[in-house]
Amino acid sequence: MTKINFELFFPALRPWVMNLVNVWPAYIIKPQYANWEVLHILSLTLLGGTAILMNLRLLGRGITEESPSEVYRNLRRWQDVGVIGIVVSGILIGMANAEKLYDSTAFVVKMCALLGGVILTYGASRPVARADGAVPVSARLWFILGGLIWLAGLVIFATGTLVNVGLYHVIFAAALIVLIAAQGRLRWIFLIGLLVIFAVHQWVTHVTYADPFDLKHLDPANKVFTWIYVVWIAAAAAAQTFMASRNKATPALAKLIAWSTILVWVTGAAAGRWIAFE
Amino acid sequence: MTWLQHGLGKGSGDTAQSWSEALLGSLNFWGLLEGTHLLALMLFAGTIFVVDLRLLGVTFRKTPVSVVSDRVLPMTVAGFLILLATGLALFFAKPMFYYHNLWFRAKMIFLVLAMINIAVFHSQVQRGQSAWDNHPTPPGPARISAIVSLVSWILVIGLGRFIPYDWFQCGKPVPHWANVLQDCKTSEKGAYEKTAETAIKGAQS
Repeated sequence: MTKINFELFFPALRPWVMNLVNVWPAYIIKPQYANWEVLHILSLTLLGGTAILMNLRLLGRGITEESPSEVYRNLRRWQDVGVIGIVVSGILIGMANAEKLYDSTAFVVKMCALLGGVILTYGASRPVARADGAVPVSARLWFILGGLIWLAGLVIFATGTLVNVGLYHVIFAAALIVLIAAQGRLRWIFLIGLLVIFAVHQWVTHVTYADPFDLKHLDPANKVFTWIYVVWIAAAAAAQTFMASRNKATPALAKLIAWSTILVWVTGAAAGRWIAFE
Repeated sequence: MTWLQHGLGKGSGDTAQSWSEALLGSLNFWGLLEGTHLLALMLFAGTIFVVDLRLLGVTFRKTPVSVVSDRVLPMTVAGFLILLATGLALFFAKPMFYYHNLWFRAKMIFLVLAMINIAVFHSQVQRGQSAWDNHPTPPGPARISAIVSLVSWILVIGLGRFIPYDWFQCGKPVPHWANVLQDCKTSEKGAYEKTAETAIKGAQS
């Protein structure tokens, strides 16, 4: 399969990319690379924490004593700091490490998640939170655009050799959100089902096919189980989204926007980490 | 540490691996653990920063401190449990490396400081919380606790990111203090003083 990276889309750019490390301020950043990486991670935590709290509120969890618009008002500036922080530190460490990123599939995923994340956050999630769950037409359009870009990133992630395992971070995060957002019986049914799938998965990949080099069987088995996880989590998320929305003010679309906006940033972070494992 | 890395779980035969070696040599599992350790910071640090910022009086000023902490801290704890589980597994994969690593040791110091701060906050600072729970800006001791928390966790994260860099790695020519602080003498690669290298180079020239 063709490796999807920026070289595929812009094959003539290699000399320019290779020279980026010699351009101001990359040659200053290069010796201090680790410090800027720390700034990148700290910005990610601030962005992650604010995205989680703002969007969980739309899912009916988190600081429920306050309205979604109040949570939004209190967190928006800190979220802006997080977004500006990841972009600025990302550009700087990216320039200092440009050729590796030019060859990387995970970096394409990360850029899709960044673009999708900014569109979903500023175009959909924040306007919906500001309107206490009401979804204006513009937010619907931004949700479709941002969601499609994010989905494109997920497809590239799934097909990327050596990086597709990173998708498990997104699946794990989605399962965690279901555990936080779901209530009562649904939460327990979901958890028990998840543990059963996990146990059977481990049994098949460690007992039925015990040879770790038997990729002819292990690879399709892992793919099948990955889909089973995805379907199970998506079904529980749909149940939480649509069943709970019937009697409450927050419409299902606002919840879908909230789900996507948390997971798009998780996708970006996961892809960013898996650049190193490519 | 040597037993933990090379002995525990090792079967018979020349190619047998210990559990630690098997974990480190796994195709994807180590990467998933490491990635999860990093990503869980979004949940853990991202949420504890919001609680600290409330204690500093710079966000959720109209919301009682108890509301923010009751609603947010369970998520922080969940994030911490994921960090702890993955962190212990990552340590188990390379115990000798981490044990003799300057940044890891410094990270542990600030981790302990953050824990002490949490204990002091719950046992001392929180005692009179009902009196200032609704205040937009909590009193000095609460703000100091928030600053200590923010600084400690930022340092824990930063020092954690420095761990893979080999600036002061045992076995390389490093200053005397780095050899002492990392206990390099008992490491697999031993201690090598930077001054010794300088002396040899001087003699060669």
